[in-house]
Amino acid sequence: MAGITDLGVGIGWRSEIDLTVERLPGVDFVEVVAENLHIGHLPESVTLLLERGIPVLPHAVSLSLGGADEVDLKRVQHLGEIAEAVGAPMVSDHVCFVRAGGLDSGHLMPVPRTKDALDVLVANVRLAQRNLPVPLALENVAALLEWPDGELSEGQFLAELVERTDCWLLVDVANLYANARNIGTDPERFLDEIPLERLAYVHVAGGEQHGDVYHDTHAHAVLPEVLGVLDELCSRVRPPGVLLERDDNYPSDTEIASELAAIRAVVDKHRG
Amino acid sequence: MVTPMTSQTTQLSAEQVGYLTAGPGRAAEAALARLIDAGLVRVSRDGLVTAVHSNNHGATTSVEARILSYSRTAVRFDTIVQSTANSTEMAQLHRHLLDRRLMQRPRRRHEAWWFSLAIAGGLVVLGFSTPAFFVGVPIALLFFAWQRGRGPVTKAGKEVLRPVSASDRVYAVALYGFCGKVGGHRVGDLFELSQSVVKMIPLKRQRARKSSSDGGGCGSASSCSSCGSGCGSSSSSCSSSSSSCSSSGSSCGGGGGCGGGGGGD
Repeated sequence: MAGITDLGVGIGWRSEIDLTVERLPGVDFVEVVAENLHIGHLPESVTLLLERGIPVLPHAVSLSLGGADEVDLKRVQHLGEIAEAVGAPMVSDHVCFVRAGGLDSGHLMPVPRTKDALDVLVANVRLAQRNLPVPLALENVAALLEWPDGELSEGQFLAELVERTDCWLLVDVANLYANARNIGTDPERFLDEIPLERLAYVHVAGGEQHGDVYHDTHAHAVLPEVLGVLDELCSRVRPPGVLLERDDNYPSDTEIASELAAIRAVVDKHRG
Repeated sequence: MVTPMTSQTTQLSAEQVGYLTAGPGRAAEAALARLIDAGLVRVSRDGLVTAVHSNNHGATTSVEARILSYSRTAVRFDTIVQSTANSTEMAQLHRHLLDRRLMQRPRRRHEAWWFSLAIAGGLVVLGFSTPAFFVGVPIALLFFAWQRGRGPVTKAGKEVLRPVSASDRVYAVALYGFCGKVGGHRVGDLFELSQSVVKMIPLKRQRARKSSSDGGGCGSASSCSSCGSGCGSSSSSCSSSSSSCSSSGSSCGGGGGCGGGGGGD
């Protein structure tokens, strides 16, 4: 996939912190939530970043590719149009479903890790790929539950998905950490099982422990343990890009810059 | 919460200067400017204001605390200015200025208006029996017009306001508003705010300020040329971490002030 071999370190662009993103030193690329953008009137800030040559990658949250419902091609089309509008080399969404039976969950719901569910996911991903102008990367989600009767580990599930669809992987190390805390996923085994050569880029985010449950809030500081998972990943592969996601309770510019610097330090440590 | 004093030779905080200059809307702008200057709130390109911390961290006045509390989730620039201008915290600031006799109590001002009108009315009635009394009617009406034009700031208020200058970008906002100009520069530019954001605040003519040098009146909202030898007392030098501007002491703050948030008293 030419053009995104070295994205660098980036941050999720959000309208509330648009000026912060523009001012932050060392932002190599940004990600935008595709559903928040509209063709024909991109935010001034996004246009400015594009003029500076900063890659802008659309990230979707509503394709519901893991759902049993038919894929909404209008959503796929919108994602593709946004990709073309910003000249993105790729787009992404999640390995999840967000609606069923006409109801929206409001959350990224995990997919049952069964062969049948994988068949559905593969069919939906292929349909989306056929209707997208650029490659598609899919992200592992943070789950608070595991569906019963799973036949594959999360790593095996994603590996088979990649093999059958030729999609790319967007590995969220914060989600991986959350799953380790909440449902006992082994991050090292996960990293052993997924095809790291198909890694598009990496997400890093903050969260908070509430009682026995770790919440992947994207509204708190990035924990050292999450950076530890990133460190583990970087020891195995050089990720093309690593991106900080922050969606609420935006801290000061200085704190955001510090989090980006911490991420960069982990990445650079393995680059020698 | 104690109102912080300024580094310049005045006993007024930026909020107080804003209030005396153009009312509660300007005071709200000044408080918001202080918070932006300190990095305690951020403003997005489309005018969404959000607090950087979730616990009112960094507030030095109750008005600032109110802004931080209100902006925990994103709120429009103009909405936060107007709601702060109409808040109980702003009413407290008003009372503080009244207690310091820097402003005149609204009731007393209204009493003076009615008194002059009553005198005029009485002179008209008396004039029907003794026409000489008609001579006093225009005098009473002139007195009424003078009272109306005085504004709520007392002589003491004007005295304490006189040496205040746009020594930094926060005081530039207090004196001229985000959509005003200082030294030929847009005040909003000092905060890297786009014009579309600052123009969210409704325009309002600010109160007149007496010139410090020639004794002649010169409103900041009026043009500099109307003042003759100089306009206002502002030295109009201001600076910030991101941008700066400077000009001579005789420069004019000029431009339209934006007060927002309603009347001055």
